[in-house]
Amino acid sequence: MQPQLIRELVALLGPKAVLSQAEDLMLYEYDGSVELGSPECIVFPSCTREVAEIVRLANRYETPLVGRGAGTGLSGGAIARNGGIVIAFSRMNRILEVDAPNLRAIVQPGVVNLDLSRAVEHLGLYYAPDPSSQRSCTIGGNVSENSGGPHTLAYGVTSNHVTGMELVLPEGEIVRIGGKTIETPGYDLNGLLVGSEGTLALVTEITVRLTRKPEAVKTLLAVYDTLDDTTETVVDITVRAITPAACEMLDGFTLRAVEDYVHAGFPKDCAAVLLIELEGLTEAVEAQAAAITEVCLQHRAREVRVARDDRERELLWKGRKNAFGALGRLSPTYYVQDGVIPRTRLPETLRCIEEVSRKYDLRIGNIFHAGDGNLHPLILFDERDREQFRRVVAAGIEIMTFCVEVGGALTGEHGVGMEKNELMPLMFTPEDLDLMRRVRAAFNPAGRLNPGKVLPIGKACGEIRVQPMPVSTTIPA
Amino acid sequence: MNRPAQASITRLEEIVGGAYVLSDPAELNLRQVDGKSPSVVVQPAEVAQVAEIMRFAAAEKLAVIPCGGGTKLGIGSPPARYDIALDLSRMNQVLAYDPRDLTLGVEPGVRIEELLRILAEQKQFLPLAVPFADRATVGGIVAANSSSPLRHLYGGVRDFCLGMEFVTGEGVISKGGGRVVKNVTGYDLHKLLIGSLGTLAVIARVNFRTFPLPPAQGTFVTSFSDSESAFGFCRAIAQSVLTPQILEVADPGAAHFLFSAETPARISPRQWSVIISAAGQPSVVDRYARELGHMASAANAAEFIPLSDAEHSSVLARICEFPRLVLEAVPSAAIFRIGVLPTTMPSMLNDLSEVAKHWRLHLATLTRASGIVYSAFLSEEENEASFAGIASAAKEVFHICTLPENGAQAMLEWCPAKLKRGVGDLWGPWRRDFELMHRVKSVFDPQNVLSPGRFASEI
Repeated sequence: MQPQLIRELVALLGPKAVLSQAEDLMLYEYDGSVELGSPECIVFPSCTREVAEIVRLANRYETPLVGRGAGTGLSGGAIARNGGIVIAFSRMNRILEVDAPNLRAIVQPGVVNLDLSRAVEHLGLYYAPDPSSQRSCTIGGNVSENSGGPHTLAYGVTSNHVTGMELVLPEGEIVRIGGKTIETPGYDLNGLLVGSEGTLALVTEITVRLTRKPEAVKTLLAVYDTLDDTTETVVDITVRAITPAACEMLDGFTLRAVEDYVHAGFPKDCAAVLLIELEGLTEAVEAQAAAITEVCLQHRAREVRVARDDRERELLWKGRKNAFGALGRLSPTYYVQDGVIPRTRLPETLRCIEEVSRKYDLRIGNIFHAGDGNLHPLILFDERDREQFRRVVAAGIEIMTFCVEVGGALTGEHGVGMEKNELMPLMFTPEDLDLMRRVRAAFNPAGRLNPGKVLPIGKACGEIRVQPMPVSTTIPA
Repeated sequence: MNRPAQASITRLEEIVGGAYVLSDPAELNLRQVDGKSPSVVVQPAEVAQVAEIMRFAAAEKLAVIPCGGGTKLGIGSPPARYDIALDLSRMNQVLAYDPRDLTLGVEPGVRIEELLRILAEQKQFLPLAVPFADRATVGGIVAANSSSPLRHLYGGVRDFCLGMEFVTGEGVISKGGGRVVKNVTGYDLHKLLIGSLGTLAVIARVNFRTFPLPPAQGTFVTSFSDSESAFGFCRAIAQSVLTPQILEVADPGAAHFLFSAETPARISPRQWSVIISAAGQPSVVDRYARELGHMASAANAAEFIPLSDAEHSSVLARICEFPRLVLEAVPSAAIFRIGVLPTTMPSMLNDLSEVAKHWRLHLATLTRASGIVYSAFLSEEENEASFAGIASAAKEVFHICTLPENGAQAMLEWCPAKLKRGVGDLWGPWRRDFELMHRVKSVFDPQNVLSPGRFASEI
């Protein structure tokens, strides 16, 4: 990077808000995915005006810009694929306004998802989208990826909870879209921007809906001896039009790892469990619990257990939300998939994944948002084994292809990023992709904002770079 | 048409067949937009024909306005040009319905009434209780982003539309979103089409998630002597654990339209009415009845009336049809659709009422408590002076909305064609984000042939 640009950034933001030493840059080479890319500089703006100034500088020096929240993304969205400047939003982490009567909050992009819910808890409110990484991921990142979570089954994804934003466009212009009201006349720019993975604009302020906490919550754990019985239960719950707040599935392999890690009381000898949460008025929750228990037992659930209290409930959820981490203890690296299928195709999809696991000789754990057909097969591997990594990539493509073939989608909540951008032609025609490319160009004409993401650039998947070995030896003591 | 009309008609006949290119004056008049008739009506049978028509229109720079039931052609600014009415009513197939998966894909010409009937056979529905229910089509409802009182619980079109296939202004078949209930693959281009009034693309297929019909419903009407008490009651509901599917406030003017001759005598026009509907298990609906009754009396309601099933249907239908009822009674009505924050609703309604008084107009306002106000300004006479009054009132409404204490977002959804030019931009004062909308338009329709001039900021 040109030293003059670094000097100008330091002059703009102060020396503490600019990192450009090799050892600092390394910390920003990766996110939660298996991707990697080296930025040339990290900046930490404290306000929108600074973001706009950074953008103008980057334009002057023709340098790429990548926004970054907590770096928990699972598709490489926050990785500087073509180098350039990473704008880390960790200092823009203030909740600017809580408007409880109107169920709105205005936040800066660096606010951690769970911190918003905690800040409004005393008002009986919370922020509904709940990605598993909600203890660390930021709302800015959630907006970029249109993040979901277990409870999006009932409450919708990030897009359903954003009513307004302040944007810094790639020319450095500051524009507001939407607002606090539930609708703003004109095209739904919020709908376009949420989930655009940082390729259209940098988001510097977000107005979100807050949700009132339900009167009653009930968490059920249904335990099964076969995978087929488990998936058939999910199909039947959908068919009978029972809508739980969440319906998660963990297979036995995953469960054993989770139990060893969090000790939540999951049975270690079963084929799979369903973790089902019901929310609403007491009467509604009771009626749904009875109906769901009946469905589970009809499909030969060995046991349907109801969490006795908040502690037990939280423990079950801790198990679910730490499942990726638990599997991480079994292998050096894992690769999380995020395909979506029509919910009625769950049983055959699971059989397909089993087959892929056998075919490529890979261990695959299954953690699904089963209720909305959003799968997270987790392929375990050793990143040092390049031959194995090639098999992992091939297995992933086979699973994703299956999802698309049965009428589903490549990604339900993790985003396309640089992980699946070359697979976009599975779902979209060249014409579809061309239109998306032109929409991107209309906002981001020089392509300086988060380059190499979402849309294919022509690099084959096999070229996804393998994370190198720990480089501790290269860092001076 | 800027090309010999007969040559264009011949080309269109080649695409869709002679029987589906209409140039009979009666047919042309039927599809007038703000007094402007098209030169020809084309009725494609499938998306490939739509694409071919659009390629032809783009090449010849012929202005195309898509339409279905033709019920909402009055919404939007007068078209700058209008050559071809693209009538999608033949594209009326349910392409995919998987009741087990609760997902649906339909062509734009499917009438909503018919679709709801098909869904009801599977004990499902779409929360689109919209005006002009007997004629409105899915494409028109989506393109106009028609508002439904059920929005209170189920959200708007954007919240349950999963994806769309569409044809751009250049005649390219494209899509956004998908067919599954959760999906973040690629840009959500389909969301841009919701409420775009046919200015970006022609909708060729819409995918929705469907909802199970609730086992029981209960609807209640309460009345209050003033708006403060009515909105106080709404606030109390909003702050409780109750989540009704419908929560609407009708001012005395709106109550006049909602509770008229066709509704049972005991629901007569009242001062301020709050209409609430709850859905769920019978035990849930019973609880709503109990608790709403208590809350109503705590809020000094004059009455609290639980409706019978027949009354529920009739009152719900009239709430959905509110704009239509107003327009049928007073064709010169100017009806605003205003996004308002719940806390500012009472003062906002006061301000609207002051404007109406000042210009000697009647006011009928139906408020969706979730944040949309439908406000109709009505004049007793139809003459130049009354039109001037409504136009002046409209400008004041836009001004009121921009005041920081109101923070509201208004669009003049319905008004007579001759009033539109006097009002200016029906989407209100210029905003910086309009510039972004122009950029979007230039991508989808670079030749500016789709509904030119009908949208905000002369898009």
